[in-house]
Amino acid sequence: MPAPLLEVRDLKTQFFTPEGVVKAVDGVSFELHAGETLGIVGESGCGKSVTALSIMRLIPRPGRIVGGSVLFEGRDLVGLSAAEMQEVRGESIAMIFQDPMTSLNPVFRVGWQVGEPLVIHQAKDNASAGVEATRMLAKVGIPNPQQRARDFPHHFSGGMRQRAMIAMGLTTTPAVLIADEPTTALDVTIQAQILDLLRHVNREFGMATILITHNLGVVAGMCERVMVMYAGRIVESGPTADVFAHPKHPYTWSLLRSIPRLDADRREPLKPIEGSPPDLIDPPAGCSFHPRCAFRVDRCSHDDPRLQPVGDTQQAACWVTQAGTELPRA
Amino acid sequence: MISPLPIEAPVPPSTAIVARTSRGYWREAGGRLRRNRIGIVSGGVLLFFVVVALAAPLLAALITHTDYRSIDLINTFARPLTPSHILGTDELGRDELTRLLFGAQVSMGIGFLAVVVALTIGACVGLVAGFYGGLIDGLLMRFVDMILATPAIFLFILMSILFKPNTITLSLIIASVGWGSIARLVRGEVLSVRTRDFMVAARAFGASDARLIFRHLLPNVLHVMIVFGSLYLGQVVLIEAALDFLGLGISPPTPSWGNMLTNSETYFFHSSWLVIWPGVTIFLTVLAANLFGNAVRDAFDPRLR
Repeated sequence: MPAPLLEVRDLKTQFFTPEGVVKAVDGVSFELHAGETLGIVGESGCGKSVTALSIMRLIPRPGRIVGGSVLFEGRDLVGLSAAEMQEVRGESIAMIFQDPMTSLNPVFRVGWQVGEPLVIHQAKDNASAGVEATRMLAKVGIPNPQQRARDFPHHFSGGMRQRAMIAMGLTTTPAVLIADEPTTALDVTIQAQILDLLRHVNREFGMATILITHNLGVVAGMCERVMVMYAGRIVESGPTADVFAHPKHPYTWSLLRSIPRLDADRREPLKPIEGSPPDLIDPPAGCSFHPRCAFRVDRCSHDDPRLQPVGDTQQAACWVTQAGTELPRA
Repeated sequence: MISPLPIEAPVPPSTAIVARTSRGYWREAGGRLRRNRIGIVSGGVLLFFVVVALAAPLLAALITHTDYRSIDLINTFARPLTPSHILGTDELGRDELTRLLFGAQVSMGIGFLAVVVALTIGACVGLVAGFYGGLIDGLLMRFVDMILATPAIFLFILMSILFKPNTITLSLIIASVGWGSIARLVRGEVLSVRTRDFMVAARAFGASDARLIFRHLLPNVLHVMIVFGSLYLGQVVLIEAALDFLGLGISPPTPSWGNMLTNSETYFFHSSWLVIWPGVTIFLTVLAANLFGNAVRDAFDPRLR
């Protein structure tokens, strides 16, 4: 197997608030290979976005990366100077955000903005960047790109703005594209179109994609590999098909079970995960999921499980499954 | 069983939304300004004074046929509408209209220069303070607080004594106090704009701090600066006239509307036009500047719509 494109090792990001230290990302490690699509799923506040922002070194104050490394093509991004990091952002790793309605600067024409990474990184003048931007807008399915490039963001619908953001991310053909909940703010049909577009550009440009979402359906349709995060840690990872068919962590199991099914009896109540995500300032002792876990054993409340191989292809941080117990069908 | 949604729809073949002109924020604001009748009239008055100031030597040569310094001791206190002295003459027989024309140079010159200087310094300080926050913000804003907490007239008097006032130094003196207010306004606006997603997005695409500040932030706070600048112009004209009147501004023989007033107060009951002409001119200019400033604010401030 070739060396991974991006390798995150024991990443720790914390927010130093007056209430205490929030361990938003607490020892996350993973690899991303060229051309691969990796999904990161979890509830709100489990550290998905902070992981992505940490890779980009865009953690807002009072947050700080306190440990670990992010190796991109062998270079540790955590140790780079601000100027070196600017070179990486947009040129090697691009990121698109959740809310396309506010991610474009309202005072500039869309075409100019889509071409801006080229002006920044490849010292192109505005005219040739604009030509390239128009070409990219066409690629992401903006009808009439020549004319639409001259529009302002408020002339674009949400779906079109997200297309424009994707176009902006693609102009420099980065090696990694991080999409942080790219479809959450869009309605379902537009979601499908945007996901289709992401799949399409992933194939055409061969870039590795990290897709962050809380929508398991999105992951199932898009990603080869999936990581499930809980309380700032990865609790399970593995090939998407295996993780969804045979979850090896009770949290994954609960997530899958909570998805409403179209063919279920309509009078049947939804199955939420009882309780709420833990306080990241003062997480519970032992496994952070144990207070909500349906399968917990005594050990879970005082001993913290580590991510270990469970089964042939998956890894899970759970004493129960590591001991060989199979979880029931979700 | 519900049939699956047709999710295989890569590109919507939409050609419905085509020929529609793009109207940006600036064009829309400009359109609103043009539809404001008071704004247009007051803007016209200001423009008139600017043209007068620029063309003062030409107008003096063509219309009044005299120089603002030429003393005519035979024709002192000529009444208005005297042939060859439309607005009369002063105690030294100098033509009042000519002096007003050249006074416009002082008022408009100082007015615009002070506005530009105050806006430039204030915007830079406000942008930097708001963008970086923390210690930089604290230091810069406390400095602004200090300046704004000191009585302005005291600062003006002090600096007028330290530096010999001419058009340039007087503009700088006035601007050295005025930039504080705009710095505060710009900083406040920056605080709300900098947290918007497009700032994070631009940073994620590799934009440097300088690019973020001047390319992405500045255009988003420009409307605050335009509104402040146009309202501030009236204030500057008034401050300048007041300093001249106190003898701390432009000193004779260079005529300014303010020092023309100083000169003539002695003759108020004797030759009231010497007070009325510069007084009315200052009043008109300040009124026009304020009305125009209000019109600009109505057109540019999105919160007022």
